[in-house]
Amino acid sequence: MNPTAALKPGLIGGTVVIYLAAIGMVERFQDRNVITGVVGLGVVLILLTIAIAAYTAARKGRTPMPTGALVGLVAGGMVALITLGFEGLINAGVDVRGMFVSITPGLLETLEFGLNPALGAIVMALAGGTTGLVAGGLVGLKDEHLRSSIVFAVSMTLLISLGEPILRVTLGNLGIPTNWLYELGGLTIAGTIITLLAGFGLRWWLMGRKEKRQEIAAHMPEDTRRTWGRASLIAAILALIALPWVVGPFVSDVLGTVGLYVLLGLGLNIVVGYAGLLDLGYVAFFAVGAYAAAIFTSPASFLVTEEGETFAAAGFTNIWFAFPFVVIIAVVIGAMIGAPVLRLRGDYLAIVTLGFGEIIRTLVLSDWLAPFLGGAQGLTRIPAAPPESFDLRNPQHIYYVILAFCFVAAYISYRLADSRVGRAWAAMREDEDVAEAMGISVVRYKLLAFAMGAGVGSLGGVFFAAKIGSIFPNSFGLQVSINVLAVIILGGIGSIPGVIVGAAALVGLPELLREFGEFRLLIYGAILIAIMIFRPEGLLPNKRRQRELHEGAGSAPVELPEGASPA
Amino acid sequence: MSEAILSLRHVSASYGPVRALEDISIDVNENEIVCLLGSNAAGKSTTLRTILGMTRASAGEIIFDGERIEHLTTPEIVSRGLTMVPENRRLFGKMSVRENLEIGANLRDDKKEIQEDIERVFLLFPRLKERIRQRAGTLSGGEQQMLAIGRALTARPKVLLLDEPSMGLAPILVEQVFETIEEINSQGTTIFVVEQNAHMALSIADRGYVLQTGSIVLSDTASNLLEHPQLSDAYLGEME
Repeated sequence: MNPTAALKPGLIGGTVVIYLAAIGMVERFQDRNVITGVVGLGVVLILLTIAIAAYTAARKGRTPMPTGALVGLVAGGMVALITLGFEGLINAGVDVRGMFVSITPGLLETLEFGLNPALGAIVMALAGGTTGLVAGGLVGLKDEHLRSSIVFAVSMTLLISLGEPILRVTLGNLGIPTNWLYELGGLTIAGTIITLLAGFGLRWWLMGRKEKRQEIAAHMPEDTRRTWGRASLIAAILALIALPWVVGPFVSDVLGTVGLYVLLGLGLNIVVGYAGLLDLGYVAFFAVGAYAAAIFTSPASFLVTEEGETFAAAGFTNIWFAFPFVVIIAVVIGAMIGAPVLRLRGDYLAIVTLGFGEIIRTLVLSDWLAPFLGGAQGLTRIPAAPPESFDLRNPQHIYYVILAFCFVAAYISYRLADSRVGRAWAAMREDEDVAEAMGISVVRYKLLAFAMGAGVGSLGGVFFAAKIGSIFPNSFGLQVSINVLAVIILGGIGSIPGVIVGAAALVGLPELLREFGEFRLLIYGAILIAIMIFRPEGLLPNKRRQRELHEGAGSAPVELPEGASPA
Repeated sequence: MSEAILSLRHVSASYGPVRALEDISIDVNENEIVCLLGSNAAGKSTTLRTILGMTRASAGEIIFDGERIEHLTTPEIVSRGLTMVPENRRLFGKMSVRENLEIGANLRDDKKEIQEDIERVFLLFPRLKERIRQRAGTLSGGEQQMLAIGRALTARPKVLLLDEPSMGLAPILVEQVFETIEEINSQGTTIFVVEQNAHMALSIADRGYVLQTGSIVLSDTASNLLEHPQLSDAYLGEME
């Protein structure tokens, strides 16, 4: 073992911990119980950071356990020393908080485990060392089953603890008592032990069955497999239908927002993922959908004339009548925006579409169009759609509408990918000139991609308007385009399940992290960076994209499944 | 010359101010193999691009199957039965062999017909069938050339245009490729091949044209051209 090799990761781990403490994250997190009365989230954050540092270092070293322990000791020791340093400064009467606003007595107490400073420092160093030892030990563990089961059990326990706000409500709605599991926002001791054991047992059992399952799957006749596939699809759909009533209105609202992003993501996926046209102004179609829906339905719309002779009263006052027209308008506008940029490629296309997105936002904000689009005041009083018993303002209701349209969009995307059109897009994405020489009308297919993307995006806008009832220009900024693009990149470009996972991770996660206030975006950013480093192809990548990104060194001939999706 | 399936009459083309083709006239008769020879930058590829409408003819007429096509778009021209095997093959390297073949047939949407066309290509190139699921980019040079030709054939061309099929291939593979071209021709497809390798091209061709800096300087039957004393030095530069 090379001691100096452990120094660097240890110091990095320690620095990260100090950083997290100095920005106030540790103290804030400590308010949240992980195991009530035993450990708070702040301490878990520290130990987890050290564990990750030790684990990463141990995986490179030849002697994982001592390396891990040493890394943990260095990190823990560093934290302990700096804590002592701050303690000393405060005792000497230095105004530490003049510079480090978040170094509070509460934080120091956490870092010293509520003990006196000297003892606390020793405990911190030892805790770091022990954590590192365990992490290194895990790396050294020969038994794959055992290691995997331990990691799974700990992660599951942590997630169940963190998911308390949702899980308690959910289980409550299902009529399952939770007193034995949760207490004061954290797990009870008994709950912790049960969860750990259950997680360990579950993983152990699953891994034992894995090979057997694979064998069964390999020998399963084609139609049996298809039946199973269908059965699990139906089960998933039923679960999605039951979801809002199980999780309650707050989470349903989040799910609705996730659904909107799934819809937008599926639309943009056609443009970027299938046709390979980088569109940075996708918000334009979202805005067109929302504004067109509002104009058609709101009694404040300019279509409602003073004479009382109203277009709106003629039956267009509800979203159900309006949405097909809105989609048609969006498709036309999509083709109009697409037409002038057809000759542009790559970066240039991105810049021009970025401009289009901004133009739409500027237009809806402008005084010039204010009589029609409401300017900065936006368009309000978008009425509830009939029937009254199914009010779309209710997050548990709009969820179903969005879900239904997500299914439609996903089905269309799925069919497109493997169709003639999908193949043409794939060819165009790879080599536009040759695609043209092969007789593929690049112009037509580009327009088609823009128009379809616009249509789906406008649906997102329609139900966004229906969901919140009033729309304002600042809901349609560049941020939306970037977010939707991030959704499909995170999930894996060109992949439909990827869009869903991407939206859940990118839109759902921050909503659920709200509890952590100002640190929300920091955590979110860290997760994004981690994903892009470790899975550049996205969470659920499309097979071809994965090949593209992992190409290079010794790439063996890759066998494709027959009839693999060309997207 | 009325039976010509493809003819270029006094065609000129330019890239901006640079004249690439100057008043060239070429006739390709049905079931013939015609080759267009020339050194680098003589305008060979431009001729093919102009036929397919990817470069616009600035003057002259292009007649295919009795109709003028110089004003049509590339997809329209391809759908009428003119398909190109591009220079350097330019396969869709990240797609499988099968997907590449399907792209060739993409103008039609009859799955059964497409499957038949693909089977026909496999008859011609059994090697491709073995590699049906493999990524096109991982094929060897010779296999890639086969696939590029196969991709063009699934479009069911009346006239197959080939841009330097010998480029970058070992001599033995070049021979194979040209044998295949002859075979495709014998099955009823007219061939118009652009080549630098004059001897190889003339050995299978019925007639040939020689292009020099954008103009046709010689045209004759293949056998006459092969015996032409100055062909190699005067018009084609060095030859293999």
